[in-house]
Amino acid sequence: MNNEQQEVAQFVKTQTPFSQIYSSATNYFVTHIDSIYLTRENQSQWLQSDSPRLFLIRSGLYDLVDAKGDVITRLAQGDYFGFPSLLTGEAIQNRLETQKEGIVYMLNQESFDFLRREYKSFEQYFVRAHANRLLSSHYKSQNESWSEKKISELMSRKAVTLPPDASIRQTAKKMKMHGVSSIMITEFEQLVGVVTDRDLRNRVLADEVEPKEAVSTIMSKKPKYIFENNRVFSALHLMLKHNIHHLPVLDEHHKALGMITSTDLLRQQKSDPVQLIGRIYKAHNISDLKRYADEIPELLRGFSHNIDDISLIGKLLSGLTDALTSRLIHLFQEDNGAAPTSFSFICFGSQAREEQTLHSDQDNGLLLPDDLSDQHQNYFRRMGEFVCEQLVECGIRRCPGNIMASSELCRMGISDWCERFFKWIKSPTPEAMLNCKIFFDLRFIEGSNSLYTSFCEQLTRISRNDLFYAAMANDIKSNAVPIGLFNQFKLEKDAKQHKFIDLKKRGVVIINDIVRLYALKAGVRRANTQERLDALLKYPLLNNQDLYNLKDCWRFLTQLRLRTQINEEGLPSNCINPDKLNSLERHQLKEAFYLIKQAQQAAAFKFARGSL
Amino acid sequence: MVKRWLDRYLSKKKLLATSAASQRYIVIDLELTGLDVKQHEIVSVAWVLIEQQCIKLSQAAHYINKDVQQLEQSPVFHGIAQKDIITGQSLDIILTKLSDYFDDAILVFHNASLDWGFLKHAFKAQGMVAKPRLILDTFLIEKKRLHQQGQEIGLDDLTLAACRARYQLPDYHNHHALTDATATAELLLAQCYQIGQGKDLKLVDLVYL
Repeated sequence: MNNEQQEVAQFVKTQTPFSQIYSSATNYFVTHIDSIYLTRENQSQWLQSDSPRLFLIRSGLYDLVDAKGDVITRLAQGDYFGFPSLLTGEAIQNRLETQKEGIVYMLNQESFDFLRREYKSFEQYFVRAHANRLLSSHYKSQNESWSEKKISELMSRKAVTLPPDASIRQTAKKMKMHGVSSIMITEFEQLVGVVTDRDLRNRVLADEVEPKEAVSTIMSKKPKYIFENNRVFSALHLMLKHNIHHLPVLDEHHKALGMITSTDLLRQQKSDPVQLIGRIYKAHNISDLKRYADEIPELLRGFSHNIDDISLIGKLLSGLTDALTSRLIHLFQEDNGAAPTSFSFICFGSQAREEQTLHSDQDNGLLLPDDLSDQHQNYFRRMGEFVCEQLVECGIRRCPGNIMASSELCRMGISDWCERFFKWIKSPTPEAMLNCKIFFDLRFIEGSNSLYTSFCEQLTRISRNDLFYAAMANDIKSNAVPIGLFNQFKLEKDAKQHKFIDLKKRGVVIINDIVRLYALKAGVRRANTQERLDALLKYPLLNNQDLYNLKDCWRFLTQLRLRTQINEEGLPSNCINPDKLNSLERHQLKEAFYLIKQAQQAAAFKFARGSL
Repeated sequence: MVKRWLDRYLSKKKLLATSAASQRYIVIDLELTGLDVKQHEIVSVAWVLIEQQCIKLSQAAHYINKDVQQLEQSPVFHGIAQKDIITGQSLDIILTKLSDYFDDAILVFHNASLDWGFLKHAFKAQGMVAKPRLILDTFLIEKKRLHQQGQEIGLDDLTLAACRARYQLPDYHNHHALTDATATAELLLAQCYQIGQGKDLKLVDLVYL
């Protein structure tokens, strides 16, 4: 007998995950499926909870509809459905609505389980597809917080642009024609300047500039801008910080896409921590600042009901801390005179990574030019002490390790800072490694950006040291993921004999460490783990799939960490008892740890080969 | 004699009154060396079953007749080369396996006059009796449907590919007996849905009278 469904096999083997695994999987699939003609009349009879199946669409169009009747997604050729019930064993919640009838292949639970067992990629594909669907339906159901939206969702107007040699009058006419209050000046599609209504008043009419002059003479050069993929939150933050009302939006190739205005944002705004940040940036005295800071915990508590992404809370808290810090520096200068030289106020650790929690303590420092006079040093000592003290007053605890601008060790000239970093790099003792993990995550808050940039450049240069990478890789490897032999969870115990897994220490931190190592190697100057991963896509150090995997893991673990805040058992924070998870989550958690372990080994192999 | 004929007539009438959806079907396709029953041979036999409106690809079968004398048409067309034939079965075994289904399944062909003609001849030559309960023909079903719509029917309008295209079923490129059997099964389900239009379709609606 020769049972060769050539036509079916040809179709199936081009579909993921079959295209990525052995053809034996395709053969198994093809010889174990049945095929139906799915129509409006029989659509309900195939999705039965007592006999779950995997469906693969060969032709036709179908809407997947949830219990409330909302369309989750439209399915067409090559799409799968039915796998959530196969994976979880839970009842089918969604139903199908046929838009165009067609052929659909079905696989029963037994055969699906066989393929899961035999082919790891098959397994991973569907587990991930399920996780993604959970995430997306989750995101849809929540009350969308507007500050979480992407800029591109908010931007409706098309870009209104002119070249720099256009006359001022032409500019005004074009603005009138499009009914806009600002215009982008572009050259070869790249943004070179911005002109606003206010500029026409202040720099043309008031200064009696001739309208026939080129617009480049009056435009604001090198304007601030934002990328379409950034969050609205970031746009608002930027506008408030620099007191601007128009923000050009660019795509990733820096092509001008449009303008977003403070009015656009106000229209979106209800009541939000973002407003608080705005007030902080405008606070005139310390008592106002403290009053606003007092609102943070309460506001965040309300906010955390709306969002399920702990990473956004981290971002918001870091944003608030940045705002407080920045405002305190301004207030200090109002009372003590402007800074005598350039300086950069920087932050480290979780604040730099934008992973702050309400319990995070201060990690900051002052970066100064070399060889300052005693008088100037004295000025910055007072600045550091003032800012750190006032931050404590605002509810941000002192750093037990004294990583604060008030400490002499964190208030130094560029050369001294470099010397300090170089010491750790040269002799990677365990203590030095610990310091590296905090100090190599750094971010600029206030002051001179060019000072900070030149420091980062020097840092990149001195950290280019293979022995140092090897030491970091070995250090990362020594932190084992909690998966033992035979794929079992390794649980920790506390004094009260609770059994748990520390998701932060054994998961998120390892990913942060791995990503930091690659970011250092690539010279990526970012502190946020997700942003580092995105930036690493452009470097050949890790393949994109591995980067996406790490990103997925990070998100999954971060999401799960949120659960630990509703802590029934009195476990230590960030810890979870895997018995409380459902079978799919347990499975995903193992999968995540497995991927982290692989990444640890890959990093060790890449960076620490010589010392193994 | 009359009673036997009457019994058969009555049981067929009863069968035709039953619902099409609940039936078991065996959809058959043959590869032939030519079109003449007297001269040409069966190269291979393939079938798939339809149960409860579900095409059982998992139970599909395809047998090559190892007794075939010569391949007159291009072997590329059949996808069967002389070397494949060695792995085949003798025709009487294939026919026995096939006729096992005749008691409880309705036969389906695309253009039954040709394929069933060959099978009938083969059964007879092997000294076997094959009495299917009912034969459906997707070719005739389509012809009837187009007639009722008042459409002119051209020569090429009733090929398997042309019929499938009318229901926007996927294009199949290879002409393997099993592919064609599967393609015919899919066509039957699509036709049933179109003709039924939401009503409970009876077998009589699918017969060309």
